[in-house]
Amino acid sequence: MSVAIFSSKDEDCIERKVQVRNNERTPPSEVDSVYGIEGCVQWIAAGQYKRIALQFPNELMGDAVLVSEKIEALIEGKVFILGDTAYGSCCVDEVSAEHCVADCILHYGHACLSPTRRLPVLYVFGHSPFQTSHCVEGFRELFPNKDEKVIVMYDTVYYYAIEELKQLLESECTNLVVSELLLPDTRQDSSCQTEDSHSGESSIQTICKCGRRLKLSFGADVDSYSIFYVGDEGPTLTNMIMTFNKSKFYSYNPATKTSRKESLNVNRALMKRFYLIEKAKDAQIVGIVVGTLGVSNFADIINQLKKVIHLAGKKSYTFVVGKLNVAKLANFMEIDIFVYVACPENTLLDSSDFYKPVITPFEMEMACNKARTWAGEIYTDFTQLLPGAASYVEMCDDDCEESDVSLITGKLRHIGRASADDKVGAVVKRSELWTMAPQSKSAAEFLSDRSWKGLEQGVGETPVSLAIEGARGIAISYAGEGERNVALKGSPKIAIEYEVEKEENG
Amino acid sequence: MVNFTVDQIREIMDNKYNIRNMSVIAHVDHGKSTLTDSLVSKAGIIASAKAGEMRFTDTRKDEQERCITIKSTAISLYYGIKKEDLQYITQEQDPKGDTNFLINLIDSPGHVDFSSEVTAALRVTDGALVVVDCVSGVCVQTETVLRQAIAERIKPVLFMNKMDLALLTMQIDKEDMYQTFQRIVENTNVIIATYEVEDNPMGNIDVDPKKGTVGFGSGLHGWAFTLKNFATMYASRFKIAESKLLGKLWGDNFYDDKTKKWSKDQGEGSRGFTKYILDPIYKIFNTCMKETKEKALELITKMNIKLTQDEKEMLHDKQLLKVVMRKWLPAGDALLEMIVLHLPSPVTAQKYRCEMLYEGPMDDVCAIAVKNCDPKGELMMYISKMVPTSDKGRFFAFGRVFSGTVATGMKVRIMGPNYIPGKREDLYQKSIQRTILMMGRYTEPIENVPCGNICGLVGVDQFLIKTGTISTFAGAHNMRVMKFSVSPVVRVAVECQNPSELPKLVEGLKRLAKSDPMVQCMIEESGEHIVAGAGELHLEICIKDLIEDHACIPLKTSDPVVSYRESVSEESAITCLSKSPNKHNRLFMRACPLPDGIAADIDDGKISPKQEVKERARYLAEKYGMDVTESRKIWCFGPEGMGPNLLMDVTKGVQYLNEIKDSVVSGFQWATKEGVLCEENLRGVRFNIHDVTLHADAIHRGGGQIIPTTRRVLYACMLTAKPCMMEPVYLVEIQCPEVAVGGIFTCLNKRRGMVIENTNIGNTPQMQVKAYLPVNESFGFTGDLRSQTGGQAFPQCVFDHWQVLPGDCFDPKSKPFEVVEKARKRKGLKEGVPNLDNFLDKL
Repeated sequence: MSVAIFSSKDEDCIERKVQVRNNERTPPSEVDSVYGIEGCVQWIAAGQYKRIALQFPNELMGDAVLVSEKIEALIEGKVFILGDTAYGSCCVDEVSAEHCVADCILHYGHACLSPTRRLPVLYVFGHSPFQTSHCVEGFRELFPNKDEKVIVMYDTVYYYAIEELKQLLESECTNLVVSELLLPDTRQDSSCQTEDSHSGESSIQTICKCGRRLKLSFGADVDSYSIFYVGDEGPTLTNMIMTFNKSKFYSYNPATKTSRKESLNVNRALMKRFYLIEKAKDAQIVGIVVGTLGVSNFADIINQLKKVIHLAGKKSYTFVVGKLNVAKLANFMEIDIFVYVACPENTLLDSSDFYKPVITPFEMEMACNKARTWAGEIYTDFTQLLPGAASYVEMCDDDCEESDVSLITGKLRHIGRASADDKVGAVVKRSELWTMAPQSKSAAEFLSDRSWKGLEQGVGETPVSLAIEGARGIAISYAGEGERNVALKGSPKIAIEYEVEKEENG
Repeated sequence: MVNFTVDQIREIMDNKYNIRNMSVIAHVDHGKSTLTDSLVSKAGIIASAKAGEMRFTDTRKDEQERCITIKSTAISLYYGIKKEDLQYITQEQDPKGDTNFLINLIDSPGHVDFSSEVTAALRVTDGALVVVDCVSGVCVQTETVLRQAIAERIKPVLFMNKMDLALLTMQIDKEDMYQTFQRIVENTNVIIATYEVEDNPMGNIDVDPKKGTVGFGSGLHGWAFTLKNFATMYASRFKIAESKLLGKLWGDNFYDDKTKKWSKDQGEGSRGFTKYILDPIYKIFNTCMKETKEKALELITKMNIKLTQDEKEMLHDKQLLKVVMRKWLPAGDALLEMIVLHLPSPVTAQKYRCEMLYEGPMDDVCAIAVKNCDPKGELMMYISKMVPTSDKGRFFAFGRVFSGTVATGMKVRIMGPNYIPGKREDLYQKSIQRTILMMGRYTEPIENVPCGNICGLVGVDQFLIKTGTISTFAGAHNMRVMKFSVSPVVRVAVECQNPSELPKLVEGLKRLAKSDPMVQCMIEESGEHIVAGAGELHLEICIKDLIEDHACIPLKTSDPVVSYRESVSEESAITCLSKSPNKHNRLFMRACPLPDGIAADIDDGKISPKQEVKERARYLAEKYGMDVTESRKIWCFGPEGMGPNLLMDVTKGVQYLNEIKDSVVSGFQWATKEGVLCEENLRGVRFNIHDVTLHADAIHRGGGQIIPTTRRVLYACMLTAKPCMMEPVYLVEIQCPEVAVGGIFTCLNKRRGMVIENTNIGNTPQMQVKAYLPVNESFGFTGDLRSQTGGQAFPQCVFDHWQVLPGDCFDPKSKPFEVVEKARKRKGLKEGVPNLDNFLDKL
């Protein structure tokens, strides 16, 4: 028993299960082909880069050394391996690359293809196992009708096999559109930031969303297409489903070799997001959480959010906390809602475990910008909200205060800044019953309402007592905790002793 | 009908002694609206332009189709009394002896689902005309509304309706008729006595035919009388003073024709009431219905009732009877006289109602102005409900001016129910765009309205949700929020066909929330849009309004569901420990059920977070035998800081405990709002903090460490304390003939109902059954009951209490398990209640 008091039981250590992720290394013989070493070297040589940063996600880290050695042997520069990023590993981590003064980045593994600005990037997606013929079978099962309009989307890791798949599928389906990836080198040649830029005379419209480019015949409605997704379920698929939320989704998972109709209830999901928009309208104090330093324009969107939030009569604070978790955000109790500025795949966060909800910049805009109307769309890519982008809506700054009923609290709330005569700063005669307060509650005000206000002396109020010795030991189990536990479980003798001890101490 | 211009109406408004604000209240189908119609046709004030149009109180199409009142409607009546009758007014009178009276009457719905409308009507009136069907007697809803009226200090007068039915269909003989009346009066007075407070500042409010506070008649046929009408009639004939005769016409006073003497014993004589009142009425009935037309006309001429030639020729039997009775005893005169003579004026009523109405100190400017009903004082107006306008999404704010004068263009302070003097929350300073008179469905702009009157405001609707106070005084407190007798326990989820219509749906829900005093509209975390109402009928009407008027889009509606509560049935088996994410802090807690009754007391506000700590502790110790020292250490109530769950500190000498209080409280609010079983609110759970271990550095025991940990430890406490689900239960009251009782019992048994009372009503063959019925089982109950009893039983359901759903939440075959799983599925949560291991840590 005595042992059990001071530490956990021995069995626990043995029985404890450690989660081991699939960390298998690629056999050295295949590294060249899987990581496209040759292509990398060519790209580096063409750009004459000297300091090369290699970014691997955690699950590929095992191969990092081998890859870097191979590359270093073939070029004249220095190669660095970056650790996994503070944010999503799908994003290019320019900041870490700049720490080692790299002049280019090679990004390995799955990518969200968010545009970057500072450094040239080469994406190497790798070769995940993919059996084309089986996939075609799955496709045939899902779309027995050859006239069905289908768009094919895929996870970046299957990029290498898509040309083959395309050829096979074209015989299966007459109305097939295969999406292309928006890679940095192809991004420039067709400026397709806007949704419907039809290039020249040709009757083709190009739609760029989710880092993919779709070429549809002019006049075709993307909503009328079904979407066939190749890849496993995860944030990429969720992001696509939310973005193309009017299309039917089917998926084929090469890892499990299963094909199915996606059952995620989009309406339900949209209703949930709409709830969050309403919640954002209720919020008085907003926390802007920086969730990326890689996606270009992240600073612009933060500034725009600050402006929009201010114009809506709310107060905003900006946080940089690295990877999000519940405990970090719960430290800021005064914040009513958090806006997470991140790449499209990480921005949709299920925040039900969080103390306060976490929403996307688009949702915050919806809540604050009265000029914005909702037609059921969700923009996960915040660059779409910036001035110049397709779905930018100018914030109307008419200085009018509006109030409506919140369906969450059942109380009245106001949107917009207080009308001119109530403005803070105007000189107001203060009567006894009338305390002036700025319209939006600030965090400081929240803190002043707390019952605990720090180490006030309270001379004469709090009885003076001697300092007592606290617990000793390590956090997992302080010395003597087992006894206390026994006491609480109700062994009367020890309980009394325990109390006596407490009283003496207190 | 009386034709007045707005100016003329405005003139009467100034004489505050001659205003009567009253509501008509009763059980469903006792004939309020019909009676009101007969009053309106007699004395309804309509601005000249609208003359000729009718049907004032049924403003909605569905009200007419269903033959029930859904919304309360206000109308103004004018009545001039005889100068000599002024002596009967016992309250303070107009010094100038004005005999013109303005009566603001509100017709209210009788169905229990709409009793919130009654509450709103009672708030702005001072008197109530309680209508009782003399055949079915005092019913459930009669009692409910009467209770509410007394609580609001509203003086009642009684009207026995449907005498035509008793005489024609039921053929009740005279003595039985008297006995029936007598019993209804008694029953009414019993209810009044039950709910009346001692030393009632309203004075004696018993109803008594001798005093003239009871009327008799038929709203349908349009005739009515009080004893005073007959006393006046006979006074001249017998040469006795009216007041003396009044006493003889009721009770055990018998007149012997032989001895020509009144006596207290029946002996050879006959009862005053029967002889002088019922005899002539029965005679007319019998003559008109059974005898030849000639005989009838003869009698009519003898009674000095003048009929037109057409009427004499065309009418027979019932029609003739109707006309004769209406001409002989016009309902309007009898009732309006009763109202004017016996119901209080605003001047009288506001003196004793002020302390019930006003939250602030009784000696501040507003309270004094309200007490004196001072039109020159500061403005105090209570908005009791919102009335939709023809302009979609906009509302008239309908309410009563208690002091001062409200005028178009006036700048006022609009204070919502959450306003606290000195704070900015729920307060707006805006101008009133327009003041309007509301007469049925018509509105007329009016420049200003002095205190004591009821009116509508334009342009304040967007600053109020349902109710609020309007004042000109910066230091004004709120007028007290109304307390409803029903709760929104039945819910449906509404869904639009297409997500792009969500904004329309939300906008529609917001409008619906305003237009009904009781309905709750909300969005849940699962994204569902919920409409909650008092009962099935209420919800049906709300959804219909939502689709047709407010959202104007097609909607899918789920089956009605009830909201459940999570609770515990035992004390936690162990003291639960949870460690913070950094493992440096530990919380030790236990959960146990609160003693029966505390949760209800918290709901009623008898125990509240605002109370003084010592007073509350004393109450808890005396009534529930809780430890006094412990009861003083209630950290907070939850959810929302006021719910029926307590967080108590039972630690002994723990350092830094106060420092984490805010964080623990936040976690407690979170966990009590979304319980562990299926994220429903908690009810009746007490959490005890037994001990805590905290890291010595403040940075390691911040909110981020403590809030999620508190939630976890509370969940662990719940799971170790035999968690259970609670469901809302209706009190059902059913009146029916004795033969139908069997059918009722079968019906109740099938639905987990429990009969608590089964009594005869007086000596009639009617039975009254009271039972508890889980709300969840009540859907379709009315229809089922009707088919089981051949349409003879009609239930009235009022939310009564919460009860534990029997069964083990973890037994897959049990009812609570099913409820939990359903709720989890609906909310998109993982299947199955999370395991204790997720929350409980080991040392």
